[in-house]
Amino acid sequence: MADKSNQLRVRLVTPERTLFEHAAVAVELPAKSGYMEVLYGAAPLMAELGAGDVTVHGGAEGEPGGSESMTRYNVSWGFVEVLPDRVTILASDALKPEEIDVPRAEQQLDRGHKEWNEAGDSEEAYDNALRVIAEAEAKLATAAEKH
Amino acid sequence: MANVLDLRRRIRSVKNTRQITKAMKMVSAAKLRRAQERALAARPYAKMITSVLESLTRRIDIFDPETGNLRHPLFATRPEKRVLLIVVSGDKGFAGAFNANILKTAFQFIGGNPDKQIDIEAVGRKGRDQMRRHYPSAINQEQTDDNGHTVKIRDRKAPVEVTGDHPGMLLKLENSRVFELAQSVISRYVHEEIDAAYIVYNEFKSVIQQRLVVEKLLPLLKIGIPQITGAVEPTEEERERAAEAALSAGILLEPVDTAAADEEAKKFGTAEVDYIYEEPAEELFNGLLPQYVSSMLYHAMTESVAAEHAARMTAMDSATNNASDMIDSLTLLMNRVRQAAITKEIIEIVSGAAALQ
Repeated sequence: MADKSNQLRVRLVTPERTLFEHAAVAVELPAKSGYMEVLYGAAPLMAELGAGDVTVHGGAEGEPGGSESMTRYNVSWGFVEVLPDRVTILASDALKPEEIDVPRAEQQLDRGHKEWNEAGDSEEAYDNALRVIAEAEAKLATAAEKH
Repeated sequence: MANVLDLRRRIRSVKNTRQITKAMKMVSAAKLRRAQERALAARPYAKMITSVLESLTRRIDIFDPETGNLRHPLFATRPEKRVLLIVVSGDKGFAGAFNANILKTAFQFIGGNPDKQIDIEAVGRKGRDQMRRHYPSAINQEQTDDNGHTVKIRDRKAPVEVTGDHPGMLLKLENSRVFELAQSVISRYVHEEIDAAYIVYNEFKSVIQQRLVVEKLLPLLKIGIPQITGAVEPTEEERERAAEAALSAGILLEPVDTAAADEEAKKFGTAEVDYIYEEPAEELFNGLLPQYVSSMLYHAMTESVAAEHAARMTAMDSATNNASDMIDSLTLLMNRVRQAAITKEIIEIVSGAAALQ
């Protein structure tokens, strides 16, 4: 693999559109079992994503390599394919930090807690509630970091 | 005979109508263009989900050795006794026969399965109104079971019932809402409340390549191949009309070539390497399936929205043409009436002059 810049090609795809596609030095991903960082030359990997931030380091459009830029997206649920020179993220939902609607996320958190309390014996309801809570908390955390 | 003033007023009124229909046509054309772009933008995700699922089915051992079927509840086929029908219609009228055709297909489907219990989920306001008029809504009774939890029990009164509607879903098509619908369909299927799920919608590849289809969503048989159980093609005449309207509004007739992008998307999850799976492959597969079902629904809805705008554009183009024809014939009539009046006056003057001599 004679890539001159040792850069990853990162794509972030949502059901609605391809949100992001360019070169990067490293990507942080919120896998279900914890955050991981992918650099150029990583082993091929498939993972399910949880709720959290995707952070793309370096290599903004037009100026590969040199830039110290960092792009962050809040994603919730999805999948990622890692190849040595390519990372493709399939996210159910992806937002830029400034796009997060904080009151709505708070409402979502309340709803999640309510569902959690009402779940009773149903494992499925618990899982659903936990998902809602995790998503809302990740959104709020992303939004809070911005300020 | 009508007088000139009346005719002039009439012409002015038809001209105003023509202005409105022309404007509506242009608005629909713009909306169609946007809907087509959205459908195009949604393609990579759908393709990627499909290709990764396909490759996972080849790689992992999720087949039941006894039946040879995939070991997942969404692949389990049961005799179809209870069927869910999702009807995707338009939110607004003035779109020619668009809504009527969808409803006709839906009613044919219901009529063709008289011995089954059918639940209807209506997407789009026009379809919901019609379905509500014909069939009762499903009633869920809340009961308290032995452990003190409230359980919803379905109290079925009629063979065909409307279980839900989704007003405004098409107006602002958001994946999260479509996903909720997909999840509700999946959970009903997994809990064996339904034995199959169908969707009726207007497929739209381009203005001249569209048809009404009944597609089977669940159970899944093979990933990536839509199970179309019925399709109504438009007549040649309808297609010509649509093509004419599209040309005058500057809409491309041929679908945009997506082969390169599709190829690119197909590579997702299918590289010839041994992946490390963070989660067991089976878990990944199970997590991807709801997304797949949701992307099928989303696809159906984006196409239906595009088709609705195309139908409205065609209808409004016809209306504009009809108005122009009407103005022409009224103008001709008006001129004739005016000429007749002038001729009559000349005759009167001439005969009056002749009488004086």
